[in-house]
Amino acid sequence: MSALLEIRNLKKTYTDGTTALQGVDFKVNRGEFVVIIGSSGAGKSTLLRCINQLVQPSEGAVLFNNVDTTKASSSQVRKLRREVGMIFQSFNLIERVSVLRNVLNGRLGYMNPITGTLGLFSKRDVAEAKKILLRLGLNQQIYKRADELSGGQQQRVGIARALSQQPMLILADEPIASLDPLTSESIMNHLHSICREDGITCIVNLHQVDVAKKYATRIIGIHKGTVAFDGRPDELSEEIIQHIYQK
Amino acid sequence: MEDRLKELQRQKKLQAWLVAAAIAAFTVWSSVETGFSFSELFKGGSEIFRFIFFDFLPPDFSKVKNLIGPALDTIYISFVAMIVGAFMSMVLAFFAATTTAPSKMIQVVVRAFSSVMRNIPTLIWAILLVFAYGLGTTVGCIALIITSIGTLTRAYAEILEEIDMGQVEAIRATGASYSQVLGQAVMPQFMPGFIGWSLYKLELNIRASTIIGMVGGGGLGYAIQKGIKLFQYQEVSLAIIMVILIVLMTEWTTSKVRERII
Repeated sequence: MSALLEIRNLKKTYTDGTTALQGVDFKVNRGEFVVIIGSSGAGKSTLLRCINQLVQPSEGAVLFNNVDTTKASSSQVRKLRREVGMIFQSFNLIERVSVLRNVLNGRLGYMNPITGTLGLFSKRDVAEAKKILLRLGLNQQIYKRADELSGGQQQRVGIARALSQQPMLILADEPIASLDPLTSESIMNHLHSICREDGITCIVNLHQVDVAKKYATRIIGIHKGTVAFDGRPDELSEEIIQHIYQK
Repeated sequence: MEDRLKELQRQKKLQAWLVAAAIAAFTVWSSVETGFSFSELFKGGSEIFRFIFFDFLPPDFSKVKNLIGPALDTIYISFVAMIVGAFMSMVLAFFAATTTAPSKMIQVVVRAFSSVMRNIPTLIWAILLVFAYGLGTTVGCIALIITSIGTLTRAYAEILEEIDMGQVEAIRATGASYSQVLGQAVMPQFMPGFIGWSLYKLELNIRASTIIGMVGGGGLGYAIQKGIKLFQYQEVSLAIIMVILIVLMTEWTTSKVRERII
């Protein structure tokens, strides 16, 4: 089976001179649940954003479905982004609109410029969005404004928005960093089981090593912008963890 | 240490005295130059008192019929200027805000343009426009549109610069195009401020429209000016009462609308 995602010698230096990534290589196969660990500022967020081109890499290649996204045109990038759902640490929902609309926003990449700009979503999309919300246990919240929801509920809406894209890959950037332990577990369970059931490949950035070990099929440790570990969760020893988290 | 502290305190005190003395000196100088004095103020005060109570009052309510037209003109001018100004400013604001501007160059040009529009007073615009369009409501309307664009572009741009970019990033990540991002991520955050500022501008327009009416911009201001020239003070006082009523009514309505929407 060919890899869904291949990252080759990826480097990123921001315009202010900070080097976030200095040569990252790895492949991700279909169906994997990869957790990326590393201390704050190690380059995890930049790495995820280079995959869907929210951040333009300085050097290297990102092959998604055998297409090099770093050389893609802007319309190709949009097509690529709609195949890749993204979940954020601070949820990043549109706070002033309803939960349903937030989920429907996941369809924008499939719509023409005019209907998308005006937010004229099709009946089929609406029905599908409601189905997704039901699956995440949010059927009571459909018409509430997004900012009325609790943190855990907002993150479930975030997952629902990603799912409505019908993605091949989900990128989750610290999805549980602003949630309490119990809610965190429920979010991780949702994310894990949905990716399993729908066969979606998932890459999650996490702080917590124990959570990573619990869900990951594979763990990648990032230290100072390079891959310090890449292997099965049971191969991750105390020593390696210390190396990854040392300053 | 103690000495140093005392020294500093003394310096502070001296500075405070110097500033106070400077203000006092400037006040005296200005009042001498302009011939201002309190006795003059009281003399004028009694004159104003006489003028208001014997010439202006009572208002001549039989003239209401003549003034309804101009009063409606004032409202029309202000409202049209607000609507047209708001939509033109919204477009310009997207080019003027750092968060949404397509290029730095366009941003600077739009900002400079709106600054010129804003910093030339409405009254001056009206005087200039009277030469081009002659007396009438067109002048008032255009003058108000120009200053509306000046103020609102800046206000809207500031709202746009304060939006949460996380929400914008999330919508971009779904594969949305530039216009889709504007429609679905920027607009929902922009709307409350947009409505608030537009309503406030409507209030300002109503107030300003009476002033520009006096230089030929039509509406109640024009009626007031005409009345003063013809010594029909009791009609003028009625017009002034109507201005006050319109201003109060707009304030009341806009505050109700604002409560509803925001």
